[in-house]
Amino acid sequence: MLVFLLFTLPAFAAILVSVEIPFLMSVFSSFTKWNGLDKAQTFIGLENYKELFLDDLDMWKAFGFTLRLTLGSVLAVNLCALLLAVLLDSDIKGKNVLRAAFYVPNIISLIIIGYIWRFIFSAGFESFYQKTGWGVFMLSWLGDVKIIYFSVLMVSLWHSLGFYLVVYIAGLQTVPRDLIEASMIDGASRVRQFFSITLPLIMPSITVCVFHSLSNGLKAFDVIFSLTNGGPGNTTTTIALDIYRTAFVINRFGYGTAKSVVLFLMILILSIIQVRVFKQREVEV
Amino acid sequence: MKKMLFVLLALLIVASPLFAAGQQEKKDEPVTLNVLFYSPELAEQYNDMVAEYKKATGVTLDITVLQTDYRSVLTSRLNSGDVPDIFMSSAYADNSTYKDYVYDLSNEDFIKQIEPGALQGVISDGKVTGYPFLVQSHSFIYNKKVFRDNGITTLPKTLAEFEAVAKKLQANGVQPFATGFKEFWVLPQTAWQAIANVPTENYGGYEKFTGMLNSGTLKFKDIPQMSQLFDLLDLIKKYGGPKPNESDFNDQTSSLATGKVAMIHQGNWAEDSIRKTNPEVEIGFLAGPTGNNAATAGIMFDSNQTIRIAKDGKNRQAALDWLRWLTTSEYGRNWIPGKVKQLSPIIGAAAPDSYIAKETSALLASGAPGYPWFYQMFPTGTEQQLGAILQGYCAGLTDRAQTLEALDAAYAKIAKAAQ
Repeated sequence: MLVFLLFTLPAFAAILVSVEIPFLMSVFSSFTKWNGLDKAQTFIGLENYKELFLDDLDMWKAFGFTLRLTLGSVLAVNLCALLLAVLLDSDIKGKNVLRAAFYVPNIISLIIIGYIWRFIFSAGFESFYQKTGWGVFMLSWLGDVKIIYFSVLMVSLWHSLGFYLVVYIAGLQTVPRDLIEASMIDGASRVRQFFSITLPLIMPSITVCVFHSLSNGLKAFDVIFSLTNGGPGNTTTTIALDIYRTAFVINRFGYGTAKSVVLFLMILILSIIQVRVFKQREVEV
Repeated sequence: MKKMLFVLLALLIVASPLFAAGQQEKKDEPVTLNVLFYSPELAEQYNDMVAEYKKATGVTLDITVLQTDYRSVLTSRLNSGDVPDIFMSSAYADNSTYKDYVYDLSNEDFIKQIEPGALQGVISDGKVTGYPFLVQSHSFIYNKKVFRDNGITTLPKTLAEFEAVAKKLQANGVQPFATGFKEFWVLPQTAWQAIANVPTENYGGYEKFTGMLNSGTLKFKDIPQMSQLFDLLDLIKKYGGPKPNESDFNDQTSSLATGKVAMIHQGNWAEDSIRKTNPEVEIGFLAGPTGNNAATAGIMFDSNQTIRIAKDGKNRQAALDWLRWLTTSEYGRNWIPGKVKQLSPIIGAAAPDSYIAKETSALLASGAPGYPWFYQMFPTGTEQQLGAILQGYCAGLTDRAQTLEALDAAYAKIAKAAQ
């Protein structure tokens, strides 16, 4: 037993130094007033948390937007990816090319994707409008507060679809063929097959994908930073962007870390609940 | 095959410290100054200066140039102990932000060669906390050809005159403004200029005005002239094309250069991009409206970009020598007007070959007021936060009363945290 523990020691030490200790240090910072530059940090107890919960409307607005964005992207990404995975797992022509095509956006950095789409939404759509005359291109996709939610959702969907697609295709390929054949003999329709056999059997993939999209949604930063920079106004400011601004733009490091501790707890709790619920639904063949 | 790979890897591991050691020895001899700057549009000019300085003295300046994340990179480098020998920041409020790190230049001989007016923004508690890098101005830039083609001969000064010009342009099928509302820094620059006359006229000067805001005795909602600010934003939005909230810096400069729009609110740093897009363009500078009083229509004219020297760096003397060279040598004195093509804060420096710099001097000479960038006196971070609130107003999220509430709330919070 001791030997086993000894072998884990290097990894344990590395994680301790690079993850756990900095984490505890930032928990400590969250109880201080510190601008990130002064050499002294003033301990102020729970003041930061008090302000956060009682007197920070902007943060809660950002929280609301983050939840809406997360909900939208979890639903959209998983439904689209699952649907496409089923299509691309069947015998259609050119499916390898299509799989690659859907995956390509995923290997580009989100920051660059943000700038590319910023260009498409403004200059690109303008010339589309001149060519086609369709009103949809004349909408202010990044300037109208009613549309911007969908613009952000669309760009993040376009970017992340490929990853989830791959996970679902892998999941679909583990479904035993004999079960499908048996159901065919019993006269089950395609739809029935999907809901009664395939879906329960790929539950592990769904757990992974929902978990991943949930935590990515809650942490959303780079796409917002490059696409809208939180604007117009603060309508698309996510919690992560709000934390970044609190710490690095307003120079309130203590308060910023308090916010990120709260974000951490939130992601932790939501993820635990989600994994628990989904794990219960997984079945063994 | 595997064995060979193993041997190769082993050799590599054994040899790598040797290479590293060799590199270190080389570095020791001449001084290398570690520099962190912003304004990537000046990268060529920075490099030219670095090469010249190396030729003159043998000292290398290792410059890193950043833009949007400049502040965060600087902050993390400062508090991780990796302090650059020379770095840049804004003036005013930043004087106290970086007070633990900067060297007091009061007793340096070359400071006497700087215009006293340009030093105002860097003096804090009687100390000269930085070196004013260049003098900049922002207001409305217009395309002269577009104005000529549309028969506009009298330049607008008041809000009503600006509206009349915009109407005329719109009627002729020319978009009057490109707003720049997507950039969080363009909005406050545009907005605060509209009340630049107010602090001196009604509140006893900019320092008192900021002091009252900081202590909470003055609220934005109690300033009646805030309506000038909203009126101007409304005007620009109304005549700012079909997608006013999407226009960014690139859209502003390219639309103005190609003559698609007639006016933008920008500063002299935009000239380079404009002239690169269209070398033949003729641009001019307008005094910005402060309500409907033509006499107070002016430009925002200040030295905001500040070079700071690290207090505890081991190369402090070398950094000071560089500043002295920049102020006194022939190349250094000519660098800002001749290469950077902006106004130099050095006494008796040459005038730059720049439309905006020339028009700035002409406007000031004709009696138009040059206002300081007083919003830089607001506590650090207000620029972005208040900018986002004004952006919300322009996007129609809040009305005037709600916007004023939000401005006051955000300001009070930041002011409290900055104490």
